[in-house]
Amino acid sequence: MATKSDGPSNSKYITMVSSDGFEFVVIREASLISPTIKAMLRNNFSEAKTGRCVFPDISGLVLEKVVEYLYYYHKNVNVPYVPDMEIPVELCLVLLEAADYFQLDSVTVGTAFRSMGDTLKF
Amino acid sequence: MADEPTLPCLPPTSRLAASLSNAGRKRTRGLNPPTYNLSTSSDPAVFSSDDDPALDNYIHGRRKKRYVGTWYDQHPASSDSADSAMGDDMRPPPLKPRQQRQFKRRFDSGVWMAQTDVSTDADESMDLDPPVSRLPLPVSPSVSLRPRYSAEEANAQRIIQSCIDGGREEVDLSALQLCSIPNAILELVSLIAPIPTVAKDVAFEQRDPSIKLFLSNNSLRQFPSAIFNVDHLTVLSLRANRLTELPPAIASLKNLETLNIAQNKLRSLPGELLSLMKAGSKLTDIQLHPNPFYQPNVPNCSSSGADEYEQGTFGPKDDDGMCESWYGFTTSLLARTPVQFSNRSTVVSRFEFPTVSSLPTHLRKLELEELWSLEIPKAIGGQLGPHLDDVRESMPKGAPSLFELALRAAVGHPDRESAKCVLSEQCVSNHFAAAFDRAAHISDVGGQTCCVCGRDTIMPVTEWIEFRELQRTQVIVAGSGESLVENWYSVRVSNNGDEHCVPFVRRGCSWNCIPFKASEPSEPSKDLELSEL
Ligand SMILES: [Zn+2]
Repeated sequence: MATKSDGPSNSKYITMVSSDGFEFVVIREASLISPTIKAMLRNNFSEAKTGRCVFPDISGLVLEKVVEYLYYYHKNVNVPYVPDMEIPVELCLVLLEAADYFQLDSVTVGTAFRSMGDTLKF
Repeated sequence: MADEPTLPCLPPTSRLAASLSNAGRKRTRGLNPPTYNLSTSSDPAVFSSDDDPALDNYIHGRRKKRYVGTWYDQHPASSDSADSAMGDDMRPPPLKPRQQRQFKRRFDSGVWMAQTDVSTDADESMDLDPPVSRLPLPVSPSVSLRPRYSAEEANAQRIIQSCIDGGREEVDLSALQLCSIPNAILELVSLIAPIPTVAKDVAFEQRDPSIKLFLSNNSLRQFPSAIFNVDHLTVLSLRANRLTELPPAIASLKNLETLNIAQNKLRSLPGELLSLMKAGSKLTDIQLHPNPFYQPNVPNCSSSGADEYEQGTFGPKDDDGMCESWYGFTTSLLARTPVQFSNRSTVVSRFEFPTVSSLPTHLRKLELEELWSLEIPKAIGGQLGPHLDDVRESMPKGAPSLFELALRAAVGHPDRESAKCVLSEQCVSNHFAAAFDRAAHISDVGGQTCCVCGRDTIMPVTEWIEFRELQRTQVIVAGSGESLVENWYSVRVSNNGDEHCVPFVRRGCSWNCIPFKASEPSEPSKDLELSEL
């Protein structure tokens, strides 16, 4: 886990913790694609201070896929004709719920990156 | 052979539920741990003659099978014959692992291949008994399916078959009282190949077929999606059916010359159809009326800013430079409606398309929005991208949303019905189920692309209608080289009130995929498009 001297609230990374205790260290910028995470890291919530977001309803297996998606989205923001990320059939329904929870639906996802400008304040 | 792996039958719902929402992605081979033969607990000895195939006989579980019987009727010798020398009582019953395998592996998923713990499984499959001739002949699907067809459908099948046999390219399925036509039957149409004309002194030439399909005077409620697989379709008549929509995939019928969709229940046409109604396309005859099409609620609409709107929304037009004369249809924009914004399944904008299935005439009138204004619901206004005022590139950029990806995987699930049951059980709101139904429908009728960015989507969230005027257009190219002159002549197809404005639906994949806002005209401008022609 990378914590810089000026404290976790300014770290380049955040930690996402699943219900079964798996921890994923994610580049903050990529994680902020999700409006849900962005809201958690805002201002005075404890998550903002510690840089640790715990998701008690999401298993490590699903969270792993979500993290994979965050990076996939982040990497391809301005790339034309991005190939689809593989979704294992047996995970598709739980991932639907997860997408709903993290607000990673097409309604907002096309626009979230734009607000990256304000994220740099964090 | 009884234990020959076959494609699995659909798993029962409960199992599927477990597999869909399970915590473990890896498919284990069952509760029983693998059984080891205690007498061979140490590794088999390695000899320099390792490549001797006979060595296989020493390794438990990989021994060769022996067969008895004639070559056409052989079957494995008693399964015990090869290893009866080993401790019989220590050995697990020979059939056991196979039974486990039979219901643990999904042959249609393909996922198992990547799993490490199945690799041993895959190895063992090498030792499966080869199919033996005693196996009853597989029942061919067409035989087993036939009884399920209704009399009308069987009739249609017979007609198509006779067209295939006779090499006739005109398939007349009109007035057969068809309520639906199974894709399996309609797909046969693409097998039709014309019988080449053989004449003396003329080189034998296989020409492309030119298939004419008449489905008029039936009771079809849904556009048969198998039609999209008929490559050389030139004439399609669906006149006098009960279609309520035309799927966007109709744009894939590039060879279509004649399209008749009159006397249906269509309220609009897909915007994708416009790709068959522009210079260079082959469509020369189209019958649209009567249909209960949406109409604008004002008689005369101004179309100032139309060019700006079209280029801004859909990107610069592809080069219209024609090298040869052409005759066909073009359209020009008259007006558009406001945009309906939705949120997966619920509409969030003030403007909303009517949802009632049969509409009285006065409700078919839709309000219009000037091309230089754009009403965006307050709730989402702040979330739209900054680039809305730039001319957009018509190229999908960036990744699709996770929700869309997961929905696509769910809709493509081999057992879609059970997947949907699980979904509606898991979620309190019927939010997902509604989105799922819509996505399933879109994927069934051949998919949808975003009209703005061109991305495939099964969850369009913006929708508006363009009212367009149809024109018959002729392009005459004269001269050559530098002095090439193109002359365009256009005539309105219809001036008759109701048939003048034809509604085309546009759909976008995100709240950012919306019409471009043209700049407000400073003076009343005349219709640019028409004056140029
Ligand atoms: Zn789009």
